[in-house]
Amino acid sequence: MSIIELNGLEVRLGNRLVLDGLTGELRGCSIGLLGPNGAGKSTLINTLLGFHPSSKGTASVFGLDTYRDRAQIRRQIGYMPENDSFIGNMSGVHFVRYMAELAGLPSRQALEHAHEALFYVGLGEVRYRKVNSYSLGMKQLIKLAQALAHGPKLLILDEPTNGLDPIARQRMIQLINEIRKEGSVHLLISSHLLRDIDETCDEVLILKRGRIAELCNIEAERRSNRSFMELETVGTTEKFSSSVRELGCECASFAGGRIKLVIPDHIEVRDLYVVAAQQGVQIRRMNQRRDSLEDIFLRAMDTESDRPPHVGV
Amino acid sequence: MSVYKHEYRAYSGTVTPAWTRVLVVARYGFAEAWSSKITIGLLIVCLVPPLVALFGIYLANNPLARALIGNAGPRTMGVDANFFFGVLQVQSWFAVVLASWIAPRLITFDLADNALPILLSHPISRFGYILGKYLVLFGMLSVVTWVPGLLLFAYQTYSSAQPWAMSHLQIAGGFFVGAALWIALLSILGLALSSLVKWRGVATGIIFAGVFVPAGIGAIVSGVLRTKWGFLLNLPFMMSLLWQRLLGAKGVFVSQVSLNNEAIVIMLVLVCLLCAAILNKRIRAREVVRG
Repeated sequence: MSIIELNGLEVRLGNRLVLDGLTGELRGCSIGLLGPNGAGKSTLINTLLGFHPSSKGTASVFGLDTYRDRAQIRRQIGYMPENDSFIGNMSGVHFVRYMAELAGLPSRQALEHAHEALFYVGLGEVRYRKVNSYSLGMKQLIKLAQALAHGPKLLILDEPTNGLDPIARQRMIQLINEIRKEGSVHLLISSHLLRDIDETCDEVLILKRGRIAELCNIEAERRSNRSFMELETVGTTEKFSSSVRELGCECASFAGGRIKLVIPDHIEVRDLYVVAAQQGVQIRRMNQRRDSLEDIFLRAMDTESDRPPHVGV
Repeated sequence: MSVYKHEYRAYSGTVTPAWTRVLVVARYGFAEAWSSKITIGLLIVCLVPPLVALFGIYLANNPLARALIGNAGPRTMGVDANFFFGVLQVQSWFAVVLASWIAPRLITFDLADNALPILLSHPISRFGYILGKYLVLFGMLSVVTWVPGLLLFAYQTYSSAQPWAMSHLQIAGGFFVGAALWIALLSILGLALSSLVKWRGVATGIIFAGVFVPAGIGAIVSGVLRTKWGFLLNLPFMMSLLWQRLLGAKGVFVSQVSLNNEAIVIMLVLVCLLCAAILNKRIRAREVVRG
């Protein structure tokens, strides 16, 4: 079953068309949402939360219409907004408990889960301090704690590493990966930072000017391109090349002992070393080039108009 | 087992009914309002006039007490519609002060901390959120208006020598309806005006201005155009006319100007609709993160 399903979704804010005919199914455990400023990422998140009605088409989360069934959807969603958003005058535990109660937990259970969520994100020691006395990193973490406290099925994280120092960022990425590995919660992570998405997501939706520029499974995309390799060798390069061809690789030799290879799935890198040793060739440099998320993103930005109207992963 | 030894686990128990989320907002709103010592101080001050009125009722019904303080006459004062009209007028002004203190605490904190995107991403509607806050303000203002008024009525009923309550039921009904109308209006006005700014002090000032400035403008309009309709902008004046009629009080609030009930009710409804529109616009504008 798809987590999020977009069917010709069009959203207008005033007279401005912000989302333009988004169609696709998102099924991944952790979905990255990428796009330049003004691409419509926040509008898509707000639409999924039921804040904006669609002017055309539909969007559904867990099979529920995002606008009509928004109360039901919000019960199953934990949302961590991009900007500072909290009640500064409350203590951390009081704030998370309040949010858990709003999500539908009875008062006693809300308190218990608030404590647990705060310990889980690493704010256990400061949970009785007022939220407005927290550092920026702590404020990000308490937003995550309140999003987790009621046990959502889908966690929407809008720029979770925004403004964090490298250590705090690492901690946040680690937490997200822990949640992802735990498996009971699906994640939708919006970020400008490709690295964050790369480290935490298995599927990516790239938006550009309100349209889907790319929707792909990151791992599958990488796998399809991972066999591209550049070698620098010293020795009998021609002989080595022909032996590698016999293994089943596509191979092109260049001056200075440079060789470019496309390796089929059944060939491992180790096999190349074995052949090189047999031929008495030294491999001085090996560059296994993989399609990075950056490549996928840049390609999506260039070729958005060429993509088919319906995409699914 | 201590909580800190627990691992995080998703909640899988039963959830509360959707309508109770309004009460959650109200409960936390009450906690916020009561967390200030100034709120407690103001409430105590607001209850001083009813205590004075209580003493007045005691004296009015107790010849021995009157004799002890040197007044041997039959009655120091009459406990009638005029008496309760006076109590209602005094308490209504205290209600304005209390509303101007509490309403900003309920709304402006949320606005200043940009809490609405997080609050409203939970299964509670904009209407539910405002209703929760409204209940807090209405409840707090009830404590200083109709609740002490009806307690005074009950005490007068108890201490009067002759049967009193049945012949004065209009006072109880009028007091309740009049006070409820005023605090209902004051609550929505307080919340709407508080939603206009992020600073609590400014919001308090705006609420006072919201009561007095239109009254001043109304007086100018009436004076310049020689019409009585300018008084429709004067909320305290309109309410006084309404209370007088509801309580059946005569001769206390004498004015050359008289507005009919329909005009007053229409004006009050318009004010409420305007406040609801302001609240809707302000909350809607801040419920999402713009990006």
